[in-house]
Amino acid sequence: MLRFLYQRLLRLHPPAFRKRFAEEMQSIFDRVTERSARVRLLADGFLSLLRQWSLRPEFWHEFASGGQHAAVDGIPSFYTLDPFRPRTAAVVHGLILTVAVFCLTCFAIRYSWIHVLHVQIPEVQFESSSSVVPGAAAARPVQREVASRTGGQMQDDVSGSSRSSQAPPTQAPGPRPGTAAQQNAGGNSRPAPPGRAGKRARRASAFNTAQNAASQPGRAPESSSRQIASPGPGQPDTPLQPAASAPPLVPNTKIEATERRRVIEAAVADLTRYYVDPDAAQKMAAALRTHEKNGDDDAATDGEVFADLVTQHMQDVSHDKHVMMIYGAAIAPESPQPPSAADIAAYRKKMGRTNCQFEVVRVLPRNIGYLKFNSFPDAEICGPRAAAAMAELNDVDAIIFDLRDNPGGYSNMVALIATYLFDRPAHLNDFYDRSENTTEESWTLAPVPGNKLADKPAFVLTSHMTFSAAEAFGYDLKMLKRATLVGETTSGRGHMAMARRIDDDFMIRVPHIKVVNPISKTNWDGTGVEPDVKVKAADALATAEKLAESKLQGK
Amino acid sequence: MNDDASNSLPLAPAALHILLSLAAEDLHGYGIMQDVARQSEGKYKLRPGTLYDNLQKLIRRRWVEELGQKPGDDDPRRRYYRLSSLGRGVLAAETARLASVVREARLRLQVAKPRRA
Repeated sequence: MLRFLYQRLLRLHPPAFRKRFAEEMQSIFDRVTERSARVRLLADGFLSLLRQWSLRPEFWHEFASGGQHAAVDGIPSFYTLDPFRPRTAAVVHGLILTVAVFCLTCFAIRYSWIHVLHVQIPEVQFESSSSVVPGAAAARPVQREVASRTGGQMQDDVSGSSRSSQAPPTQAPGPRPGTAAQQNAGGNSRPAPPGRAGKRARRASAFNTAQNAASQPGRAPESSSRQIASPGPGQPDTPLQPAASAPPLVPNTKIEATERRRVIEAAVADLTRYYVDPDAAQKMAAALRTHEKNGDDDAATDGEVFADLVTQHMQDVSHDKHVMMIYGAAIAPESPQPPSAADIAAYRKKMGRTNCQFEVVRVLPRNIGYLKFNSFPDAEICGPRAAAAMAELNDVDAIIFDLRDNPGGYSNMVALIATYLFDRPAHLNDFYDRSENTTEESWTLAPVPGNKLADKPAFVLTSHMTFSAAEAFGYDLKMLKRATLVGETTSGRGHMAMARRIDDDFMIRVPHIKVVNPISKTNWDGTGVEPDVKVKAADALATAEKLAESKLQGK
Repeated sequence: MNDDASNSLPLAPAALHILLSLAAEDLHGYGIMQDVARQSEGKYKLRPGTLYDNLQKLIRRRWVEELGQKPGDDDPRRRYYRLSSLGRGVLAAETARLASVVREARLRLQVAKPRRA
C-alpha cells in the first residue's frame, strides 16, 4: 500500500524530474523494508512533490537527457543557447506583482484623494494674506470682535455649554439657566456679522447639545456615555470645560420612594416650564405621573436604573432624544463657574491643532470643489480657516460639502459657510426659546466680496451620523433650494437642551430651544433631514460627483 | 569557472555533502545517501527528495555528470553520478573557504581562552 502511494506521488512530480529520477527513488524505496522508514520516505516524497512544483519551475520542461551532455574530463564541450524565453513561473510571478503594485497605487491615489494631512496653518498666515483672500473680509472683523469683547461675555459666548449659567441678567437674551448647567455649547454666543453687526440679533448658538456634559472632567465613563444624547463620532469641537470645578463622583446608592417622587415632581416642573413643545411637555408630565402612580418605578431602587427608566418614559411619549434624566457624576453645581481664559485658549489650541476640523479642501476632476469638515467650530475662532477654505474653492464650477462625519457645532459657522452660497443675506432659521418665549433669527452674513460661488450648483453629503448643526446646514439649504442633499437621512436632532440640576444626584436635560425654519415652519427633530437623493453614505460622494457633472454638462 | 564557483559559495549542506561523496568515487543515489550518513556519522540524513532535487541542480550547473546505468549492477534502475572537473573546482574552493573559517575560528578561540582563565 505504501509502495503504491509512493509510486503515485512520484508520478505526480513534474515530467522532467519524474523521467530522470522516479525510477531511482522507487528503487531506494524498495530497499527500505521498515515500515516507519517507509512512512518517512512517503512524507519526503510529498515534500519533494510540493518543492518541485512550487519552487523549481525552471526544471519543469527540461529534457531528461543530462547524460547526453556529459563531457569527458579535460575535453572542452560546447553548449548552444536556446533563444531566451522567460520561465512561465517568472511570468506568473511578474503578473501577480504587477497587479498588486497596481492595486496599491490605485488605493494610495484614492486615499490621498479623500484624505489630506492635517497641516496646522498659523493664523498669522491668513491675516497677512487676507488682502488676496475673498473670504478674509468676512473673517477679519470676526477676529477683531473676539478680541474686543469683555472677558466675561466672551467666556459665556465661547463656552456656552459647560456650566456657565448664572449669567448676569444684564447680558444678552438667551437661555439663562439659573442653577442649571447650560449644555448648549455656545448657547449664547453671537456670530460676528461683518457688515451687519448689531442690525439683527442672531443666536449663534450651537447645536452641539449634550456634548459638554459628556466631556466634563471627573465623571465616570459609564455615566458619560449615558449622558451623550448623540453618541456620534465624538464631538470634535467640544469647547472649554471648567477644569477646577469638577463635582465629585456620586456613588450609585439606593434611592427611596420619596426621592423618586421628588425627582419626578422636579422633572414635571422643569418639563412644563421649559420644554420647547408645551403639548409634548404635558404629555410627558402625565406619562411620568401615570408611571409613578402605577408603581412602574418602584423596582428601580438603583439611581442609574431609575434615571434610565424616567428617560425612557419621557422619550416614549415625545420621541425626543434630547430629553434625558441624568444620574450620578458631573451633576451641575449650584453655582457653576464660567470657563477660564485657559479653557478658551485650550479650545483655540485644539482647533488650531486639528485644522478646525476641516479635513479635506480639494478640487475634484471637472473642477468640482470638495469640502469635508467634521464639525461646525466656533466661527469666532475658526472663521479665518473657514474663509480660507472657501477661498481655495472660489473658482470651482460646483461645490460638494461633505457632512457625513459632522456631528454639528456652532450656528455661527453654519451661517458663515452658507454665506458663500448666496449673493444676498438669506434667512436660514429661527431659534425659539421656550424658557424666555423669544425668537431669534439666523441669517447668512453680508455677501463676501469677490465670492464666485453664489450661483454654482451645491451638494451636501449626509449620513445617519450627521448631527444637529450639520443637519441645520443641510436642512436650511434644502429649504432655500440652494443645495441638493445626497446620502442618508440624518439623525434628527433639532432641539437644544440644557441640563438643569434637581439635586446632588440628579439632573434633567430639557430641550428649551427649537429651530424653526422660516420656510417649512418646522424642523427635523425626531425625523432627520431627508436627502433629495437617497443613497448609502459610502456612495454619496460618487453620486454627488455624477450629479454635479451632469448638471455642468447640461449647462 | 572561478566566477561560477565563487558566486555559488558557500554551498548548501546538502550540495556540499553530495559533492564530497562523489569526490571519492562514482556513486548512485542510494550510495550517496549512505556515504553522506557515514560522513556525518549519522547526524545528517539526506532523503531522496532532497538528494534528487540537489542532483538536479548540480547537473544543471554541470558540477555533476550523470553516467547512466552500469552493467552488472544488481538493480538496473540505478544510475551513477560523477563529479565533473568543474564540480571538483567548486568543492576545492569551498574546502579552502571552510579551512580559512576553521583557522580563523581556532585562532579566536585560542585567544579567548587565557582571558577566561
